[in-house]
Amino acid sequence: MKTGNATMDHLISLVIFIAALLIFIGLFSQSISTAIVYQSHEALSTKTSDLLDNILLNPGINATWGTDGSTPSGFGLQDPEFTQYQISSFSLMRLDSSTGSVTEYDKTSPSIYYNQAASSLGSFLLTPIVQDLNYSTALSLLGISNTYGFQLTFTPDITVSINQTQASSPLNLEISTSGKGFPFANAAINYCLILVTLPQSDMQYPSYTIQNGAVTTDQQGIVNVAFPNVTDSNQVYAFIAYAHLAGVEGVGYYTHCTSTDQYVVPIVQDIGSQQTALAHSYDLNNSNPAPSSLKYNVTFVISKTDYTLSQLSLDSSSSTNIVGIVTSGVGNPYPVITLPSYTTGILIITYQQEDSMQGGVIMMPWGVRSLAFPVTFGGNPAGQNWVTTDIRQVTIDGIAYQAKLELWNQGSQVIG
Amino acid sequence: MIMVPILILQIFLFPIAATAIMGAWSNSRMTIELQEISGHLGSSIQQLYYTMNHASISSGELTAKVDVPILITDGNQGYNYLITLTNATNSNGSVKVMNLTLSLIGAKGEASTLVTLGQNADWQNNSTLKSNSFSLLCATKTSSTISLSFQGGT
Repeated sequence: MKTGNATMDHLISLVIFIAALLIFIGLFSQSISTAIVYQSHEALSTKTSDLLDNILLNPGINATWGTDGSTPSGFGLQDPEFTQYQISSFSLMRLDSSTGSVTEYDKTSPSIYYNQAASSLGSFLLTPIVQDLNYSTALSLLGISNTYGFQLTFTPDITVSINQTQASSPLNLEISTSGKGFPFANAAINYCLILVTLPQSDMQYPSYTIQNGAVTTDQQGIVNVAFPNVTDSNQVYAFIAYAHLAGVEGVGYYTHCTSTDQYVVPIVQDIGSQQTALAHSYDLNNSNPAPSSLKYNVTFVISKTDYTLSQLSLDSSSSTNIVGIVTSGVGNPYPVITLPSYTTGILIITYQQEDSMQGGVIMMPWGVRSLAFPVTFGGNPAGQNWVTTDIRQVTIDGIAYQAKLELWNQGSQVIG
Repeated sequence: MIMVPILILQIFLFPIAATAIMGAWSNSRMTIELQEISGHLGSSIQQLYYTMNHASISSGELTAKVDVPILITDGNQGYNYLITLTNATNSNGSVKVMNLTLSLIGAKGEASTLVTLGQNADWQNNSTLKSNSFSLLCATKTSSTISLSFQGGT
C-alpha cells in the first residue's frame, strides 16, 4: 500500500509541477509578446512619419509625371517648382481615387474607362484610368509591397459651404466657413457669381457674365450675400467663394441648373496633351440616346491674386471661348478641346438644351486645388489589426490642406 | 522526500525556460529596432537626395545629422551594427535602387530597406560601415551626379 501511495504522490506532484511550469511559460510569454507588439507599433509609427515625408517632400521620378502623362518611376507628390510641403495639384489629379467611381464612355475607344475622382451636379473631374497611378504601383514604387498598406488623404483645412436661401428678388446665398472644428470667424470672402444667359434663338449659344464682390464672415464664420439683379428663380448660375484669413485659404462653390437630366460632362482624355472631351451625359455608362442635343459654350478661367477670374484662350487660338453642339448616340462625334496650359484653373461649360430654355453650368477643376476637391488614395484601413496615423499641413497652390497617412502592417512584416 | 527531485529539477527548468523566452524576445526586439533604423536611414537618404535634386540647386554639398542609435541592446549588452549599401536589381533604367542592409555585429539580426533614387544618384556599391563610424549623411551634387555618403565618426 505504501508503494502505491508513493507512486500516486509522485504522479500528482509531477502533474502540479508541469502545470506550474506551463503557467509560468504562458504568463511570461504573454508579457513578452505584448512588449514586442508594443515595439512593433512604435516602429510602425516611425515608418508612417518617414513615409509621409518621403511622399510629400519629393516630386517623384520624373518630376513632371503629374503633368506629362508618363508613369513615374518614383512616387512623390511635391510640386516640382517649389520646396517644402507644397503639393502638386496635377500629381494629385493622377491618383486613382479609392473613393471615386468608374465611368464608361465608349466613344473614346479603346480607352473608355474614366475615374470620377469627385463630382456632384455642377462639377466633374474625370481622368483616364489607364493614365492614373494605382495603389499597387504606388506600393511598388515606395518599396513596401507585401509589407505595408496605406491610405493617403488630402482634405481642405477650410470648408466653405454655400446654400441658396432665396432663389430670386433678391438671390440670397449663405456662405458658411469653418476650419477643423472651429468657425472661420472674421475671414475675408471674395466671391464670383457667374450668371448664365440662355438665348431664345437657336443660332446663339449660352454665355455668362461675372459679378465679383467681397464680404467678411461673422463670429460664427457665416455671411449672407444678396443679388437684387437676379429676378428670375430659374436663373442658371455658378457661385465660387474664396475664404482667406492670415494666409490660410479655402474654396467653395455652388451651382444652380435647370437642366439636371441632360448636361455636358468634361472628360480629361489625355493628361499629357491636355485634351478634354465634352460628352453628353446620356452617352455615359451606356445610357440611351438623349431626347435633345446640347448647345455649349466653353471657357477656361484662372483665379488671379485679387480672386477675380480671368479667361485664357483655348485651343491655341486667340479666342477665349469655344461653342458647339454635342449630340448623344452612336455615330455622333464628340467635341474635343485642348486646355491652354498647366496652370491651375477652372473649365466652365455653360449648356442649353436645343429648342428649350433649360440649361446649366458645369465646372471642371484643372488641378484639384481650383475647387478644393478632397483626394483619397490607397487601401482600406478598416479591419486592419493596427493602423498608425500621421498628418502634415500642406498647401496646394495656396489652398491649405491636411495630408493624412494611415499605415498598417501587411503579410510577413509582423514580428513577435 | 517525494518532492525533492522535482524541486531540484525546477531550479534548472524555470531559469532555462525564462532564458529561452528572453532570448527570443531580445532577438525580436533587436530585429524590430534594426528595421526601424534601416527604414529611417533610407527615408533620410531619400529626403536628402530629393532636396539636392531640386532644379534650384546646381551644385554643392549638404549634410544631415543622422538621428539613429549607435548601439542596439538586448537588455544586458549593446551591439554595434554594420551598414551595407548595395545596388539593388532593378529593371527600370530611369531609377537607381539602393539596398540598405543592417546586420548586428556579435549577435543574430538583420534588416534591409530599399531606397528608390533618381538616375543621377551615386554611392559606393558594397560599401560597409559600422554604426559608430558616422554621424552625418552627406550629399554632394555636381553637374551630373549626386553622391551619397556617410561621414564623421563619434
